[in-house]
Amino acid sequence: MARIAWGAYSGIIVLFMLTPLVLVVLFSFTDNALTNFPINAFSLHWYRILDANPEFWKAFENSLKVSLGVTLISTVIGTMAAMVLARWRERLANAALLALAAPVTLPALVIGIALLVFFNKVGVPLSLATVIAGHLVITQPFVILIVYARMVNFDYAAVDSARDLGASPWRAFWTVTFPIVSSTVIGAALIALAISLDDFIITFFTIGGGNTLPTFVWGKVRTYLDPSINAIGTILITLTVGSTAIALWISRYRG
Amino acid sequence: MTTVSGGGPGGATPLVRLRGLSKKFGDVAAVQPLDLDIFAGDFFALLGPSGCGKTTLLRMVGGFTPPSTGTVEIDGQDVTRLGPEQRPTNMVFQGYGLFPHMTVRQNIGYGLRIAKASDAEIAERVGAIMTLVRIGELAERRPDALSGGQAQRVALARALVMRPRVLLLDEPLAALDLKLRKQMQEELRRIHQSIGGTFVFVTHDQGEAMGLANRIAVMEAGACVQEGGPEEIYLRPKTRFVSSFIGEANMLAGERRGGTVTLRAGIAFTDAGPDGPVVLVVRPEAIRLDGGTAGLGTTGRLDDVVFLGPYVRYRVTLASGEEIAAHSADTGRRAGMAVGAAVQIGWEAADHRVVAGT
Ligand SMILES: Nc1ncnc2c1ncn2[C@@H]1O[C@H](COP(=O)(O)OP(=O)(O)O)[C@@H](O)[C@H]1O
Ligand SMILES: [Mg+2]
Repeated sequence: MARIAWGAYSGIIVLFMLTPLVLVVLFSFTDNALTNFPINAFSLHWYRILDANPEFWKAFENSLKVSLGVTLISTVIGTMAAMVLARWRERLANAALLALAAPVTLPALVIGIALLVFFNKVGVPLSLATVIAGHLVITQPFVILIVYARMVNFDYAAVDSARDLGASPWRAFWTVTFPIVSSTVIGAALIALAISLDDFIITFFTIGGGNTLPTFVWGKVRTYLDPSINAIGTILITLTVGSTAIALWISRYRG
Repeated sequence: MTTVSGGGPGGATPLVRLRGLSKKFGDVAAVQPLDLDIFAGDFFALLGPSGCGKTTLLRMVGGFTPPSTGTVEIDGQDVTRLGPEQRPTNMVFQGYGLFPHMTVRQNIGYGLRIAKASDAEIAERVGAIMTLVRIGELAERRPDALSGGQAQRVALARALVMRPRVLLLDEPLAALDLKLRKQMQEELRRIHQSIGGTFVFVTHDQGEAMGLANRIAVMEAGACVQEGGPEEIYLRPKTRFVSSFIGEANMLAGERRGGTVTLRAGIAFTDAGPDGPVVLVVRPEAIRLDGGTAGLGTTGRLDDVVFLGPYVRYRVTLASGEEIAAHSADTGRRAGMAVGAAVQIGWEAADHRVVAGT
């Protein structure tokens, strides 16, 4: 009985969470002028409209540049930091993690304003580079925390063995350490990608001119809301789900 | 006890020569400066209680821990500053350190691949070593599908396939259950004999050290307190610690003054040496309960008699309150012994050792 109740409860929650996504995808493939039932006909109408809009393509390109840059930088630096921290004494490492994770506890609004003020004071012109720097503030802690959690339980005897069997430190890292933790690192990279891809607030304050997909959608909401944002939503969902699937495939155990 | 042919302190130059080797972690002196020689063909044990610095010493030989002072020489070459990949040693780690993302065959072939051996040579040597350690049928398994004993064999094969001048093993049998441990002991001896290599292993189990090694270094709190063959260490322990750590020993407190030792148990005999408190060490199997002894002796109260199969164990309490254990292989005699009765105990002076200390 309790099991059925739990099952129903979980079902409702999943339904509640997935329904908006399903609706977004569904309506993106219609030619309805508003997001409402009944559906007239299925078509790629809104995708064609997006395709014809150079601003959309610019925003799409910017989103890719920013989120891939953020993912790459935060994964490389975060993984290196986590590996060093995991060798520290636990007390010290915890203090360092707390300090590094502090930005995550702040509202994005505060970070966005702080960054804007900072870039102004220092005289850095706003650009995609400042957006990437801004995103790193919030993605870096996640990568460090996730990889750190893996590295504290890491069996260093495997790496010692690799060294013992003739591998240089570099070789031992790439043939033993990295393959063992690669699924964790890729998972962390994906989280950084997802955070960066859908960040609006920090992007808004640090981009200066131009758009990423989230600020592009916001611009549309302010002027004229048409169902082409459903198409953008579907593209973002596809990017996220697709990158997750690719990452899972990459991180499969291999011989 | 094994008598493995090979070097020994008498003959050739040592294969491994440690001089003034020590390690400090902050304020903790994990290993105090020590000298040690290990000869080609030795099956050498570093024996001591947990935390006495055995692993640290072994890691310094393998090149994983840089020493604070001293040098490591292998085969006449000073390797103190070389990393593990540049030393002619290979190590079997306490947790085995198998590569979880590789099959058994790939694990064993790893070192040869790094050394850029040809595929044919890798296949041949990996196959041969798997036969030697009897894991041929596990070749395609991953480490998480291996039992403790199998993982141990894979780790051993992975190190041996490199044909190290010195094989280092850190507590190789500690993680195995008793039966498997005995089996692997036999196995290690067989392998050592068949390849004729030099093995250095760390253990806290004196039975394991006695059963495997031809030479043993006993460590206490980072220092090497005695080094020698198993027989020498068992029969002529240099300190109270060594005698209590290796096998069972009776200890009787006393004092030496002017070359005469007087025990609290009321026994006196001449024994040259410096004045001061001493401990007399005598093994249970050296104690006789027949009274008519030509050596040393006293009387006590028989408190316990236990039949243990190959021998009978007697517990006797002396007038000083000290307890003595005696082992007798003459299991028929215990019928005549009444618990609570007075008994005469004795031993030959040649069977005891007097060590300084309390
Ligand atoms: N990396 C390290 N950092 C600090 N102290 C250590 C380290 N490794 C070992 N020690 C200390 O050195 C001493 C000896 O350790 P170890 O060599 O592992 O002993 P054993 O192998 O005999 O149990 C212990 O007191 C241990 O706490
Ligand atoms: Mg140890």
